[in-house]
Amino acid sequence: MAASLHKENSLVRLFRWIYAGVDRTIFMGLKFTFPTRFVSPLGFLGMLTFVLFIILGISGALLMLWYEPILDRAWDSVENINDTIPYGFHLRNIHYHASNAMVMMAILHMYYQYFSGRYKIRNEILWVTGILIGVLTILEAFTGYDIIFSERAELAISIAASLTNSIPILGPDMRDAFFGSGFHDFVLRFYAFHVFFLPIALIGLMVVHFPRFLVFDVPMVMAITGAIMITGGVFPVDMGLKFDPNVPPGITVPEWYLTGLYAFLRSQYDKFVTGVAWPGLFIFTLLIIPFIDKYKKFSWKDRPLITAIGITSIAQIVVTTYWGFYIDPDRTKSLLDRLVIDPIFLYSVMILLVPLSFGFTYLMIKLAKNAEANAKLQPRKKESVITLPEKWIYFVLIALIAFQIYLNISAYYALLNGMKNISLFIIGIIMLVFAGMFHLYRHGRSIANNPPPPSIPQTERIRALQEKKRALLESNNGKPRLEASDNSLHPIKSNGILDKVLNVARKNKNSFEKMWNKD
Amino acid sequence: MSGQPQSRGDDRISRRDFLKLLAAAGTVLTFTPFVDWGKFLPNPSGSTTEKSKVQLPDGSQANVKTFKVNHSEAIIYPISDDPALNKEAFRTWQFIRLPVELGGDKNDASAFRVFSMVCLHLWCLWKYWPGEGRKRGECPCHGSMYDPVTGKAFAGPAALQSPPSNILPKLDLEADKDGYLWILPPNWNVNGNGIVGYGRFAA
Repeated sequence: MAASLHKENSLVRLFRWIYAGVDRTIFMGLKFTFPTRFVSPLGFLGMLTFVLFIILGISGALLMLWYEPILDRAWDSVENINDTIPYGFHLRNIHYHASNAMVMMAILHMYYQYFSGRYKIRNEILWVTGILIGVLTILEAFTGYDIIFSERAELAISIAASLTNSIPILGPDMRDAFFGSGFHDFVLRFYAFHVFFLPIALIGLMVVHFPRFLVFDVPMVMAITGAIMITGGVFPVDMGLKFDPNVPPGITVPEWYLTGLYAFLRSQYDKFVTGVAWPGLFIFTLLIIPFIDKYKKFSWKDRPLITAIGITSIAQIVVTTYWGFYIDPDRTKSLLDRLVIDPIFLYSVMILLVPLSFGFTYLMIKLAKNAEANAKLQPRKKESVITLPEKWIYFVLIALIAFQIYLNISAYYALLNGMKNISLFIIGIIMLVFAGMFHLYRHGRSIANNPPPPSIPQTERIRALQEKKRALLESNNGKPRLEASDNSLHPIKSNGILDKVLNVARKNKNSFEKMWNKD
Repeated sequence: MSGQPQSRGDDRISRRDFLKLLAAAGTVLTFTPFVDWGKFLPNPSGSTTEKSKVQLPDGSQANVKTFKVNHSEAIIYPISDDPALNKEAFRTWQFIRLPVELGGDKNDASAFRVFSMVCLHLWCLWKYWPGEGRKRGECPCHGSMYDPVTGKAFAGPAALQSPPSNILPKLDLEADKDGYLWILPPNWNVNGNGIVGYGRFAA
């Protein structure tokens, strides 16, 4: 290629100069790893969450150009974005689904760090800032879906403000100070929180939260982006009904990350206890859990009590989340009868889940330890490796590029024909294909850098070695005189390929282990 | 400083500590005027010291002689020049003339009630239903019901809420000699006229 980095031209010198300047910044303190092979995404879920944050920042900034945070225009401006602004539909759907994905990623990230025990022993600050980031992320997502000011948004704002109101003594003043008075102020202020206050607080916390070792896996990032677009294509987010205070709202359910809280609110028990104290207690428990966890070991199998608490929390989150969604479909009953959850039923299920989860954890740990013991007795199975001949790598890459061209054209035609969700869907597929392509490219490169040992000895050199061996054997009257340590005649060992491969593998293994432990 | 030996062994304050105290006091005093800046946050538009007309949806001022008994209208208070703000639920009030059995036939301000239409439960807009057997405020969302005389919730989820969140905020009325109704300047406090969306303690 023309812009080779091996030749010293002025452009390369400019790049080098910039790179040398960046050396003085904090960014050089971060260790970025671009994995050269597929690694499990569980270890870098945090990075994926951050990537989603960036996607949300970009798509959100573009939406800001058209959104109007005014009481009677908010919904109409979103409708305008959705229906008439070119690519507005795409951006809105990306923004919406990325927000859900970010909350989901953050939760998965948290539970992975929890069960793998990485949250303690000098990682407490990472954990505590992470929990705060998680809370702010949910608030960010919440304020986001409120400022559409549809019927559902109005109910959500009402609940948020009346929960703030319900805080003893300070509540009404807090509501007045943070939200202003009336829906006009609420929409405007939720918007201000959504686009500035919360993101700036998130960025500040993220600076503290970033570990020094970061993994940026291009195919996984592209796959996540593609998945968001595909979801947007298949389940485009709707507008809801414009809020009209004189029209009673139908039954609406909040976003999935808040239905758990909603289930408690629907028990009709005291607003402050169910809506502020319970989630507050949950968040507080999460904040202090690394200081409670006194186990010396890290694996979930060696920390039964902590694992059981984690499993209990998951069980309770799942049950309340589903319960919050569930509304009695019997339309002959009154609205209130359909909505209200019997508090005794709800709380007894919550309590019943504790022994069940502890029992489940006990069972899982027993089973896992048994499996571990059995695995030690049996010979280790070889890892199965998919090896694609070099020629086929090229073929598949070219086929994927051709497929991408086809997809690009079809996405463009879908857009021209007004099939916005289909075009978004196809763009998602393009991202997935790119992820596959990048993975294949990476695979090909790693093969080129560390060629596998030649399995079929058909090269001239090896044939010559075999000749030599035969000659030696013959000169000894058919008796092999070679010592085990003599590698000179071994087809693989002779030129040090094996050592090289082993060294590379060892190095990779070390660096990955380091990465896992530090991430 | 605590690490430094005291020269005479008594507990007189050292010069350095004295200067530090002065600096701290100066810092506190420097920022004291800004404490009041907390008032930047709440919206001041609701507070007024003048009484204002009870303006009916048709633009006329409500009069005790013409307004029907056992009837209600939605009024806006405070009225803004901005039509968008006038759609604000928090500025919407239910103006009720009570039915006869509750004293609605008197030709003075005592026959009238003005309550915030924002339901204390989840802020839908309730309204007054004059029909026989109802004669109460009902919220369409979750069925909270309000007593039109006191503004107290007697049924539904709002009735289960602890005070002050079970009594609607109200506006005080005054009739002039021609029978026109005026809204007195409100005191937005839980012990006064109440806080919209939050409630009021019974007087």
